[in-house]
Amino acid sequence: MPHPSSTELATSQWITLLAAGMLVVQMLMVVQRMLLTNIRLFAIQSLLLTGIAAIIASFYHAPEVFLVALLTLLGKVVFLPRLLSRLVRRIGIHQEIEPMLNSTASMFLCGALTLLGYIVARPFTSFARLGNNTLGIAITLLLIGLFLMFNRRKAITQVLALLTIENGVMLAAIALSSYGMPLVVELGVFFDVVVGVMVLGILVYRIRESFASMDVGKLTTLKG
Amino acid sequence: MLLPVLIILPVLAGLCCLGTASRRSWERLNVGVFSLNAVVALCLGLNVANLGEGGKMAALGGFLQVDALSALVLVLTAFVALVCSIYAVGYFRRDLEQNRITESQLRHYYLLAPLFVSAMLLAPMADNLGVMWVAIETTTLASVLLITFYNQKTSFEAGWKYIIIGSVGISLALFGTVITYSSGVRVLNAEAGGSMSWSALTTVAHQFDPRVMRLAFLLVLLGYGTKAGLAPMHTWKPDAYAEAPVPAAALLGAGFLNCAIYAIMRFNVLTEKCLGPEFSSRLLIGFGIFSILLAAPFVLVQRNYRRLLAYSSIDHAGIMVAALGFGGHLGALAAILHMAFHAVTKPLLFFCAGNVQQQFGTPHFRKVQGVIHVLPWTAVLFVLAAFAVTGTPPFSIFQSEFTALSAALEANRPWVAGLFVLGVVVIFIGFLLHMAKMNLGAGPDKSIRAPECPWKLASMAIVAVVIICLGLWIPAPLYQLVLSSARILGG
Repeated sequence: MPHPSSTELATSQWITLLAAGMLVVQMLMVVQRMLLTNIRLFAIQSLLLTGIAAIIASFYHAPEVFLVALLTLLGKVVFLPRLLSRLVRRIGIHQEIEPMLNSTASMFLCGALTLLGYIVARPFTSFARLGNNTLGIAITLLLIGLFLMFNRRKAITQVLALLTIENGVMLAAIALSSYGMPLVVELGVFFDVVVGVMVLGILVYRIRESFASMDVGKLTTLKG
Repeated sequence: MLLPVLIILPVLAGLCCLGTASRRSWERLNVGVFSLNAVVALCLGLNVANLGEGGKMAALGGFLQVDALSALVLVLTAFVALVCSIYAVGYFRRDLEQNRITESQLRHYYLLAPLFVSAMLLAPMADNLGVMWVAIETTTLASVLLITFYNQKTSFEAGWKYIIIGSVGISLALFGTVITYSSGVRVLNAEAGGSMSWSALTTVAHQFDPRVMRLAFLLVLLGYGTKAGLAPMHTWKPDAYAEAPVPAAALLGAGFLNCAIYAIMRFNVLTEKCLGPEFSSRLLIGFGIFSILLAAPFVLVQRNYRRLLAYSSIDHAGIMVAALGFGGHLGALAAILHMAFHAVTKPLLFFCAGNVQQQFGTPHFRKVQGVIHVLPWTAVLFVLAAFAVTGTPPFSIFQSEFTALSAALEANRPWVAGLFVLGVVVIFIGFLLHMAKMNLGAGPDKSIRAPECPWKLASMAIVAVVIICLGLWIPAPLYQLVLSSARILGG
């Protein structure tokens, strides 16, 4: 294994720092109950992801990764948070009801999930490539996103949980392959995420109209 | 040149519906485009079959590649789309008569259904595993608004479950795809573009790190397994199948199921090349048999005949996956045959259920009796479809289930074979009891024969003829496609 140069080492540390930031933001979302704050936290997480993509793009001189960074910035930092905030204001529900697990228990569980994420990622972690050590964080983001989805009942929070899972997958794509995915796939995934959130937004609005609530716990008519 | 046409035509047809205002032109456009598509797909299938084993057609510089397995899925999807478009004409006319929907609502169907089909056709054509993922996710987005088509409380509930469970699943599948891709990048060491191509990955899969591939396959199986509705990730399925309008439910149950199973099959090839057959085979058999055994009691005690179809679909997805897990030539052959036979049989069951629901106005068994006195053709075909779908000889599904059973015995798994038979037999009994009571019982008090719509009858007749013919004789090109596909799966 060639010895990493000093710039490489510095870049790698920056990436690790930003990825750790993503994890911290994810944990804040777990304990935060105000929907608008949660949306802002998601925007911050996406901004950190944009930063990672930009650093990788400039390190490898890869213009297509710059494009991915730009798309993430426009889509996940600006457009989707704005769309979701508007939806929250229009529906007029600002706070999540009591989650199944309280914040203390949730925090402990998130710690355990982080540990699990790193254990799963261990066989893949090598320092030969830039940012490879972030895979543990990516898996943790996925796991905490899943937990967030089970723990909360407001439809908007579930959408946010889905989006953080997606951020985790994107982080893994960058961490594992250093260039990210082929451009056509990145574009397709981006398109699907944006359209997906719009469709979810329509559904949340309609559910709110016909159930007078966006509490997913009330969707229990269909059984057997 | 045939390949891009298949995808573009439905998109154009969908967009044209936005531009025209008359219902008749939507109907004509829809049926016309899917007829054309079916012809194109059939030509494609014949071409690929003529190329023999290992034959491939490519377009757009290798971006789209069709081998025997893709061609088979394409032909099946095009067939299902065609019969659904014919049935949709009669079905929605009845809905309009009964004032269940308005014409502007109907436009959504004629816009979304072609987009849904188009994405379903792209998935098996794409050589790039990432593009395949994008296509499958696009089908989710197009179909969720079809599930909420009737704007009822229950349809929003079903739609929400469908998209949330599906999206979580599909994110796992993307994670698995990314991990596979990273192995590809390491081995191929090439430009990023090539390492997501399935045909490039199969040539180097034996060099992948086995630990990495294990995690990747697990994620992909969970992910696409959710889309296929394997137990225990199946919970969205009964709701979605029961709430969607019947033509859309048939597209989901007979068309889309194949796309999800297809994706699992492709990844299974990579995994077997890397890890040998043992690892993936255990997982596939586990999920498959669990799906069959879970579906069986739900079929037996089911009170809603639309939900019954969903449990039958969970059962059949389980059979396909388990057959794939049995491995060897027989296992691969059984999986492919079952996929083909299920896709041509299932639409008839959906269509008959739709007729009964529109006539009696309820999806519950207890309020429906003596269909044969009211809708004689529907009742006869319903019973025929029930026999066919539960694998009664001489219908074709018997052949594929029998082949799967032989594969299980050949793989020296007698216990699994026993459970398989148990599940299949219980489902057969459940279906028979329900169908006999519903179709043959004494009629309602005023059992007047109701008129049956010619569009609906035409679509049902087409499917019934295909079912009966396939039971007696498999055309040579189709058999060639099936054999070559089994060879691709490694049998």
